[in-house]
Amino acid sequence: MTPIDTSIYAAITDAIQTEAGRILSEGQVTAVVGYAAARRKGSAQPIVISNPDDAQKLIFTAACVNNLAVYLTKAKKEIPKTGKIGIVVKGCDLKALSGLMGESQLKREDLYLIGVPCAGVLGSTVQPATELTTGTIAAKCTECDAHLPTGCDFVPNQTPITPELEQKYAVEIARLEALTPAERWAYWQEQFSKCIKCYACRQVCPFCFCEQCLCDRNKPQMVETTPRPAGNTAWHIVRAMHLAGRCAGCAECERVCPMDIPLNLLNRKMAKELKELYDHEASFEVLDKGPLTMFTDKDDQSFIK
Amino acid sequence: MQKYINQQNLNTLLDTLITQGIRVVAPRMNAGTPLYEPIAGANEMITDQLPRRSAKEAFFPVCEDIMTYEKEGQKVTVTDIDPARFPETLLFGVRPCDAAAIPVLDAVFSWDYKDEFFLERRRKTTIVGLACTAADDACFCTAVGLSPSDTKGSDLFLTPLEGGGYACESFSDKGEALIANNKELFTEPNNSKSLPLAEPHTEKFDLKKVKAWLDEHFEDPLWDGVAVRCVGCGACAFVCPACHCFDIVDEGTEKAGKRRKNWDACGFWKFTHHASGHNPRDGQPKRYRNRIMHKFKYYDDKFGQTLCTGCGRCVRVCPVGIDIAGIVEEISKK
Repeated sequence: MTPIDTSIYAAITDAIQTEAGRILSEGQVTAVVGYAAARRKGSAQPIVISNPDDAQKLIFTAACVNNLAVYLTKAKKEIPKTGKIGIVVKGCDLKALSGLMGESQLKREDLYLIGVPCAGVLGSTVQPATELTTGTIAAKCTECDAHLPTGCDFVPNQTPITPELEQKYAVEIARLEALTPAERWAYWQEQFSKCIKCYACRQVCPFCFCEQCLCDRNKPQMVETTPRPAGNTAWHIVRAMHLAGRCAGCAECERVCPMDIPLNLLNRKMAKELKELYDHEASFEVLDKGPLTMFTDKDDQSFIK
Repeated sequence: MQKYINQQNLNTLLDTLITQGIRVVAPRMNAGTPLYEPIAGANEMITDQLPRRSAKEAFFPVCEDIMTYEKEGQKVTVTDIDPARFPETLLFGVRPCDAAAIPVLDAVFSWDYKDEFFLERRRKTTIVGLACTAADDACFCTAVGLSPSDTKGSDLFLTPLEGGGYACESFSDKGEALIANNKELFTEPNNSKSLPLAEPHTEKFDLKKVKAWLDEHFEDPLWDGVAVRCVGCGACAFVCPACHCFDIVDEGTEKAGKRRKNWDACGFWKFTHHASGHNPRDGQPKRYRNRIMHKFKYYDDKFGQTLCTGCGRCVRVCPVGIDIAGIVEEISKK
């Protein structure tokens, strides 16, 4: 396991503090959503500040794993959506914001984007005081093409050093694709058997902004709500399909799963299909229509027989 | 009664019980995640990791059928699930923070309504606790008055010794019976020292003071402050050894189906959503407040106990880093 250089994060922390303090005191924004240190050694948690004096609480470290975009969705009513809001975003988080803008959930002019040049974050924060290495880095970071966010209002002037890493999802998807359907089914049944329907995967997803999830309905019941094999499998299939063509790849679903179910594998498989079928992939670009919400005459029609 | 058992005899004990048809539930790996689950042999057992979910599910499963129904023409047949079918169980390798929660749950499940599903499993289960040798900075059992060697809830308690094997001490008839029925596997206690036990380093909370503050602060800015980041999932409640809320759902078709009892969590918006559409807990601060109030005030009001054993699981799994130990510490300093 080789250490990954995160020395730029100290300077980024300083720059975020200065910028957040400035935009708050100048009244450019009403609040800034960022990260702050928490009680456990090395840990970080989301914070919403509205007082310029609190800007000094903001940090950026390898434990700043959350995709804060979730706090700007209509599903999160605790964050007042009045006035312009500042938000600290890594590249992966910015892809989610771009997706939300494309789905008319957010307006660019209501946001002040503080982009973070990112060398990667930890895969799990079960023990947050962990050094960032090629072994502890989040799987999503091994395939990252968005270390430097663009189109932001402010990006600290740092360049992350990003070594080539083995692409963890690509390797795992290739392994699963090589299995027989029965073996693959057995793999997912074993994984889903652990699911307890805590819905952490749904609650942290920026794209799960439905005010009432179909899967919470009980009259009529659309999906078995019970945490047993049929209901668990149905839930994870519905989730993956509903995110196809929308998922930005932030992997929050997988990070927060208390049962370690590799949920982002499903999302990455969908992303791979979307790339092959429609040459679509999540990016910083704001698209009016996603690949599955429009038709062009270039679409593959070979399935019509 | 105090005894000694070496590792080989312990494995023999578990394997023998399994052969006799006793269900042995112990920490094991399931698809990469440590969980308390039935084991097929002692070789499956792991003792060096805290299972991700608590031991409560040995009595209060994630999901269980409580009734089935069938309809044929005008004839409806309803069949109760008979708790008598629950198997005799040995719950082995339970951490003190998990074992201590079980007597706490007894209070609520045998209160105004006797929950036979919980109580019958409880009657049929012998609990073997295991002293804890590994803590991290999310652990805070010592802060809520327990310890890595607390025997609360255990019928038999094992302490790992230097040089291998375990010191065994029984605390109930069930624990005595386990030794008596397998006496050839246990020997007289020896003088070996215990392995160094875990040292959760959090200061002890003044739980009386915390409760006194909660008594007076149903409305307080603290709730907005801690819960503004809460995303409203059920992870904290589901991994908790003491959270015990459940939901009842009917699932099936017009012709046949089952009534099921599933874990529920006060963090969900749906938890208090009324049929009228009104929701008295209309935001995460109110929902999170309930979590703290239930653990450190309401349960104490009703049963004289705290509904938290400091296992730290909720701290580790919270997607947004909400830290109950930090919050209670903050309250105790007010």
